[in-house]
Amino acid sequence: MSRVRALLGARPTPYVLAAMLAVIGAYGLWQAHDLRSTPAAENLAVVDASLTAEVQSFVTQGLSQVLTYNFADPDVTTAAADQVLAGDAREEYDTLFADLQEKAPGQQLVLTASVQSVAVKELTESSAVVIVFLDQTSQRAVDDQGSISAAQLSVTAKKSGSTWTITELSVL
Amino acid sequence: MTPSEIRTAAQIAASETEEDAQLASDSRDASPDASDADPASDTSLPSGAGTGGDGDDEHGSSRRRPAGPLIALILGVGLAFVGTWLWWQASNDDQLAAAESRDRVLIEATAAIETLNSLDHRDVIGDLKAWEDVTTGVMHDQIAATDEVQRQQLADALKVSEGEVVDAAVLRLDGPQATVVAAVEITVTDDAAPESEPTLKRNRFSADLKLVDGQWKIENLQQVAVSLS
Repeated sequence: MSRVRALLGARPTPYVLAAMLAVIGAYGLWQAHDLRSTPAAENLAVVDASLTAEVQSFVTQGLSQVLTYNFADPDVTTAAADQVLAGDAREEYDTLFADLQEKAPGQQLVLTASVQSVAVKELTESSAVVIVFLDQTSQRAVDDQGSISAAQLSVTAKKSGSTWTITELSVL
Repeated sequence: MTPSEIRTAAQIAASETEEDAQLASDSRDASPDASDADPASDTSLPSGAGTGGDGDDEHGSSRRRPAGPLIALILGVGLAFVGTWLWWQASNDDQLAAAESRDRVLIEATAAIETLNSLDHRDVIGDLKAWEDVTTGVMHDQIAATDEVQRQQLADALKVSEGEVVDAAVLRLDGPQATVVAAVEITVTDDAAPESEPTLKRNRFSADLKLVDGQWKIENLQQVAVSLS
């Protein structure tokens, strides 16, 4: 009877009222979830300032170390690569590095990399895609030749625990 | 219930058989729980203690009956409150708003950087108009100030440049101001030498943008030169 009365709009029973409130609540939860699960919302780049800065400083330091090379002391670079690089980035780097190791002692090659800017494009708690503007100077002691080159890189980094590693590296 | 009524009940119980006495004491135990407004069930004890027990159950359920709807209402109000609160929070979250803003800057900056790296000698006036549309401030004024002689020079160069952003990202976002970096590939076709291959250039740019009337416009666009420091 009371259900009929409620349907007729005379006076909703507490259960009907409770159900209506629950529907409002559920709708709110769904809307909130919707707003927070857009691709924009899930990308923490720039908006999470501290995580963004963390990735920027890791990539700046890591790439500078890995792309800086002195024929007289190549172990420093190798050690840095062990720490900073993993996955595809590591494999690619090893190929390039093998080449370099062959030529470098004869030419007495010194490479110095400096990162000009790192902009974070995509960022989650455990992964990042960044764009890096990098300068690399090369000095050949054997004939005192020097050059400087500019590069734009796209770098993918992953975080496990509290350490980041570069897993992909491509020249733009 | 008055003390005299309890006494009456006790006296009656004492005069009953053992079984009845048991029932009577049950009802006496229960009677302090019964509401004061209902002494009748106590006074009717002699006619049958069993009815007193039944009456007690009715009291219990009449007190329990509102509990169901009440719990349902409390849960309903709670859920409605939590739901609308989280919704309100999400739609007023600064970080979410900034994330939307960041993505919009990137899209608009990418288009603007491509525009500013494109110029067709066959439509210098139209292209310069497009440059004006995507810029603001001094840069906008400089483009607007190009005179007839300069336009003619651009047309006479017979070059078609086309800029394409290979990749870009927001470096800084600060309210209505932002900086975007972009790797750009510029294809230049020389119509003065139609048989020659187009030349490709890879450049890197940094663009400062400003939000003007709901649209991000470029305030400053410069190549990021190599630094010897």
